[in-house]
Amino acid sequence: MASVELRGLTKHYGPLAVVDNVSLTIDHGHLVCLLGPSGCGKTTTLRLIAGFVEPSGGEIRVGDRVLSAPSRTVPPERRNMSMIFQSYALWPHMTVAQNVTYGLELRKLDKDTIGSKLKTILATTHLIELADRYPGELSGGQQQRVALARALIVEPEILLLDEPLSNLDANLREEMRFEVRRLHDQYRYTTVYVTHDQSEAMTTADIIAVMNLGKIEQAGSPEEIYERPRSEFVARFIGMSNVVRGKALDRDHISVAGQTLRCVGDGLSAGADTAVSVRQHVVRLCADKPQSTENILPATVVRQVFLGSSRDYMVEIADGTQIRVVATPTENMAPGSSVWLHLPPERCRVLAG
Amino acid sequence: MTIALPAEAAVQRRPFKIDMSWPVLLAFAALLCVLIVLPMSWLVYYSLVDKAGAFTLGNFVTLFSEPEFRAPLVTTLMLATSASIFCCLAAAPMGWLVARTDLPFANAVRALVTASFVTPPFLGAIAWELLAAPNSGLLNKLYRHLTGAEMGEHIFNIYSLTGLIFVISCYTFPYIFVLVANALDRIPGDLEDASSMLGGSAATTARRITIPLALPALLAGMLIAFLQAMTLFGSPAILALPAGFHTMTTKIWSLFQFPPKPELAAAASLPLLVLTVMLLRAQHMILGRKGYSVVGGKTGDPRLIRLGVWKWPAVAVVFGVLMLPVFLPYFALFNAAFSPIATTLVTPENATLKNLWFTFSLSSTKIALQNTFVLGALTATLGTAMALVIGYITVRRAVVGHQALGFLATAPIAIPGIVLGVGLFLAYTQPPFVLYGTIWILLLAYLTIELPAAFQQLSSAYKAVGNDLEDASRILGATRLQALRHITAPLLRTSVIATWCFIFVATIRELSAAIILFTSDTKVVSVLIFDLKESGDLGAIAVLGLLMLLLTFAVVIAINRIPGFGAAQRLRNT
Repeated sequence: MASVELRGLTKHYGPLAVVDNVSLTIDHGHLVCLLGPSGCGKTTTLRLIAGFVEPSGGEIRVGDRVLSAPSRTVPPERRNMSMIFQSYALWPHMTVAQNVTYGLELRKLDKDTIGSKLKTILATTHLIELADRYPGELSGGQQQRVALARALIVEPEILLLDEPLSNLDANLREEMRFEVRRLHDQYRYTTVYVTHDQSEAMTTADIIAVMNLGKIEQAGSPEEIYERPRSEFVARFIGMSNVVRGKALDRDHISVAGQTLRCVGDGLSAGADTAVSVRQHVVRLCADKPQSTENILPATVVRQVFLGSSRDYMVEIADGTQIRVVATPTENMAPGSSVWLHLPPERCRVLAG
Repeated sequence: MTIALPAEAAVQRRPFKIDMSWPVLLAFAALLCVLIVLPMSWLVYYSLVDKAGAFTLGNFVTLFSEPEFRAPLVTTLMLATSASIFCCLAAAPMGWLVARTDLPFANAVRALVTASFVTPPFLGAIAWELLAAPNSGLLNKLYRHLTGAEMGEHIFNIYSLTGLIFVISCYTFPYIFVLVANALDRIPGDLEDASSMLGGSAATTARRITIPLALPALLAGMLIAFLQAMTLFGSPAILALPAGFHTMTTKIWSLFQFPPKPELAAAASLPLLVLTVMLLRAQHMILGRKGYSVVGGKTGDPRLIRLGVWKWPAVAVVFGVLMLPVFLPYFALFNAAFSPIATTLVTPENATLKNLWFTFSLSSTKIALQNTFVLGALTATLGTAMALVIGYITVRRAVVGHQALGFLATAPIAIPGIVLGVGLFLAYTQPPFVLYGTIWILLLAYLTIELPAAFQQLSSAYKAVGNDLEDASRILGATRLQALRHITAPLLRTSVIATWCFIFVATIRELSAAIILFTSDTKVVSVLIFDLKESGDLGAIAVLGLLMLLLTFAVVIAINRIPGFGAAQRLRNT
């Protein structure tokens, strides 16, 4: 069983904690995405798991073995992991076949086994005709697939991917997301996937761990992260959220710009400053004042853009907060006109801290 | 912490793994200290003591008060200043013509500049002696022949400060040329196009855009030229001594002649060292200023300026200038090598091979050639090996304290050859290490001098290979050493060969440090040439000089032809 467990993992560079007390359990066969902006410590976490970096505190366990601890770190070559690098790191002096079989040769398998495994993996990754090419002669997508093949052929316990799609152009990136997921479903390796692209994380991951400033802000299934963000950072980073601020009135009401909003979340304490997130596409925009008065905010249109399948509005409420709204293309309201916003109470999530 | 889990067995297979990084770091740090810190410390110590070993500032007082020492200091500064100005006047327009205009034969011009770059300056000085000595110089003879002037009349006198400045400029201008031409090559054509689009004429664009962008390179080049002119030993020794004046370097050398005054030599070396460090700092600042770096983005090729009717006059001027460092001196050397008397024109009737026989029958030639080859090969091999290890440690940050190693390996760049010679002399003529009189002291000198270039070259090679390529191999199961052998070594091979060749070529032409450190058994070819000059064997000098040039060119051309060296592109496939 190759479950991975990070316990209080910490890495300091001088006084700076790049990875700060990170704890995370990855069950066998699961794909976990470390998601966060650049500099959040996700790549360092990955390199800690790979064994390229020694932790300053905490430990990394695989199954019941301790692989990394400040006192002793098992070198990367004895961890039975594979990694796909952002740069692919294909060796320019070796052909595709040589690149792919390198790991098997280190494991001293016999020629026939290597040959048949090579054939299988090249077929899976659609690389058969390219076996004798050098990496310099391949396109970006082909190089990406060679990197995948090279990592998968050794049948690692754990597969690590460091922003593997960030060097591809948009179309190819979309295609390769599903490819990664397909290969994962086929081989079921315990996988850690680092990315800054939230839709990439949504497509591929079983569990998403959102990282910020060296800490995990929230870890959970894609639905959980999306629907129930626990902090403003997660709300803003995942999907398109508006955040409004106000004072809590009681357990589930806050006062925003003179209006009262009902929201859901952990109980509020009256009088506290509170932030509430609401997704752009659940906010309703009305030209006339609606009948119901619950969760209605008056606002003014700042600008609007016609996007074909929708209209993108920026409106401003009384306290000056700007709110983005994705509305149907038929609702056409000119900049400067007064509108009313309806924020569905069950979609207004109270954010921690 | 309790680690008593059964599955630990696999991990604990090698419980006594020794961390090799500290011993390696310490060994190399110690080695670099022996090479650099020890001689420099002795240098400072000697400059601050008198003959009896008591502390004194007297050496510096002597240095700055007695005219005997002040004159060389002033001469050196004048020499360096005017040489760098002359170089700039010749090199900057040439660099612009080659990089930015449709000058015909631009590649030939670059090749010829390279030729003057690799010509040992002392050899150039001797060649110009053959050409422009007041009585025997070929050019003066030609002048008398054409005008019928009296014997003794001359138009050129190379034995003068002007002559010395001229000859030093001939072999220093390539530094400026290379920097300026490279800077101009790199300025994206878009920048000039943008100026034209906004209404700037060709002249305005050049004045407002191109020249300001190339200016830092020009200034940096001038500083390097100044430095080079200041620390040269060969050319002043050949031209200034007969003219009866000294520069700092020849003065330092003369302090080692009988009776030796090492304290004064040490004191005289320090100003050179300090000035060099300051100039290199200044150069670093000029080139490092952010405002001048060309901002990225997609860039177009530079647009070449049409010279029109000026095309052929420009070619004539450029090749006219190149007569001075290349064509004329090389001709003079060939002439001297095959002529019965060095300063007589060779003709089919009087051509002779006796100089060749004479040169190779000298016993000192055999020793010098042998020493030179042994030292060249040893320095190149050891220097490359050291640079490989230090480069790996610093680029891969393999151990704590790697920055110190990198600093030590780059530091010798600020030590002029003759200053290092003095330092090594002082350090290794006394216990605990007595190396003076052996070829090992020369080996130390050469290693120290060549290390910075080798280190920089191989560091950038390591950087080009990139961390990921090694890491990818580690994670698939290769140990650190296997990763080095399978991945890094094959990718580094061409750089290693090139570095070896560069060191070899640079070593065989070194004179400044060798002139302080040689003894009769440890002569090298450059010193032998200098010696033969004293005894007036110009034919033999020409033969040895041509041999040295031949070897240098062979290696330089070979490096440029190494298959795959131009294919460095392939390393950046990602």
